[in-house]
Amino acid sequence: MMDGESRDSLVKILFFAKARELSGLKESRAKLPANISYQSLLDTIIEKFGLESIRDSVILSLNEEYLAANGTLNLSDQDEIAVIPPLSGG
Amino acid sequence: MNEEELIREIVALRKTLREKKDTLRRLQRDKHVVQECGLTNEEIGRYSRQILVPEIGVKGQLKLKKSSVLIVGAGGLGCPAALYLVGAGIGHIGIIDYDEVEINNLHRQLLHSEESIRVSKVVSATAALTRLNSSVNITPYKMQLDSSNALGIVKQYDVILDATDNVATRYLLNDACVLTGKPLVSGSALKFEGQLTVYNYRGPCYRCVFPTPPPPETVTNCGDGGVLGAAVGTIGVLQALEAMKIILEMSGVLAGRLLLFDGTETLFRNVKLRPKNQNCLICGDNSTIDKLIDYEEFCRAKANDKNPGLKLLKESERLSVKEYHKFADSSATSHVLIDVRSHEEFEICKLPNSINVPFTQISKPNGHALVEQVIRSMRNGDTRIDVIVICRRGNDSQKAVKILKGLINDEAVNIRDVIGGIHAWAKNVDPTFPIY
Ligand SMILES: [Zn+2]
Repeated sequence: MMDGESRDSLVKILFFAKARELSGLKESRAKLPANISYQSLLDTIIEKFGLESIRDSVILSLNEEYLAANGTLNLSDQDEIAVIPPLSGG
Repeated sequence: MNEEELIREIVALRKTLREKKDTLRRLQRDKHVVQECGLTNEEIGRYSRQILVPEIGVKGQLKLKKSSVLIVGAGGLGCPAALYLVGAGIGHIGIIDYDEVEINNLHRQLLHSEESIRVSKVVSATAALTRLNSSVNITPYKMQLDSSNALGIVKQYDVILDATDNVATRYLLNDACVLTGKPLVSGSALKFEGQLTVYNYRGPCYRCVFPTPPPPETVTNCGDGGVLGAAVGTIGVLQALEAMKIILEMSGVLAGRLLLFDGTETLFRNVKLRPKNQNCLICGDNSTIDKLIDYEEFCRAKANDKNPGLKLLKESERLSVKEYHKFADSSATSHVLIDVRSHEEFEICKLPNSINVPFTQISKPNGHALVEQVIRSMRNGDTRIDVIVICRRGNDSQKAVKILKGLINDEAVNIRDVIGGIHAWAKNVDPTFPIY
């Protein structure tokens, strides 16, 4: 493919707290478009891993940096995305 | 001498001992020699090992002595945090908790002991902390922190520790800290995991990062999900560390970063958080919240981690444990008992002939198929089949009945749950059954 727009990246996805419980996974890999908006990234992860119930209460990070909800990302292979719901117990 | 007399005598002796110790301490304090540096000889001796650390020194020790820290929650986070803060010589510690000590607290809440079961947690914690360091002034608050009392208490302290166990109190404390301008050292834990950050201190507040509370049905508390003492303790100790760094005005405070601790692999990850949200409802430029609100309503959840006492079903859809006991004994009709607790709980104890399908599985294809298969195997022509669902306390069982009724459209299948679950069974039918 010559077209950079449709390139995919193979990223690692880490799950914490309730996201870990719901998905049954600590981590996984996913092929995602290299150029992707925050909203479609969130949609894809939520749907793929059954996280609908916590959709509005998680934050996402890319390589250990918080992702702003209005941005567009440029993903590379080996990038690490974390799905972080708040923990409230103690 | 009988047991009761002996207990009375021990209580009286303890009281006398305490009074004599207090008198002795007063006598000794009057003789204290204060050095030019501002510390007494006793303080120099006691804190010498941390005064020797360059970041602390005499100046740092005096700062700690003049400071005050409020610990909200005397549980798995608050106990270790309080131990280290009191050990380090913070001048004034406030501890808030409405609850009493239960035996299931003792594996992680290490300020409390077997002797303190049924005693107020703040009383038990104060006694243990005073034994460690009697020179620290400790104020116990046996109360539930709420919108009417939070600001008055929070504003009296320099640093606030969120060591609570529920979502509503977390938002309440955040807002109270923003409104009074106090740094909030927020810790939380569940199972093997923990989270830690400092809110409202050169960075975002809790609402900036998590503006929307999680739906209550997605919140797992320690009473349901379980928690390891050493995991929650790790976070509690780090809360004490962050509080001291704030007091010492050090630069490396964990603000604007979220620490994710995974005890299963002993991994510590630091996620850089967003900066303060200009549109944050409480700390933003045009904040709309200028006083504390109703946080139980905002979070649609009670400000504790106790039994929510759900009422989702009609009376006709429920059986008391005594009714179920009779029903199972005289079971002319075929019935199936489905226990929707986790596998771990099922392993602790179970009723005879129960089938374990954890609640988390019941709406998923596998769990649903298992229930249908059981029902099919019992089906004999048009005979009526009773499906009884049981859980620990009678909350999940109601949700499970709702889900199963939606999935199984069969006139002959009557699905009900057991009120109060196996807790009620232990209380009203079989006193040899364990309670956890
Ligand atoms: Zn904020």
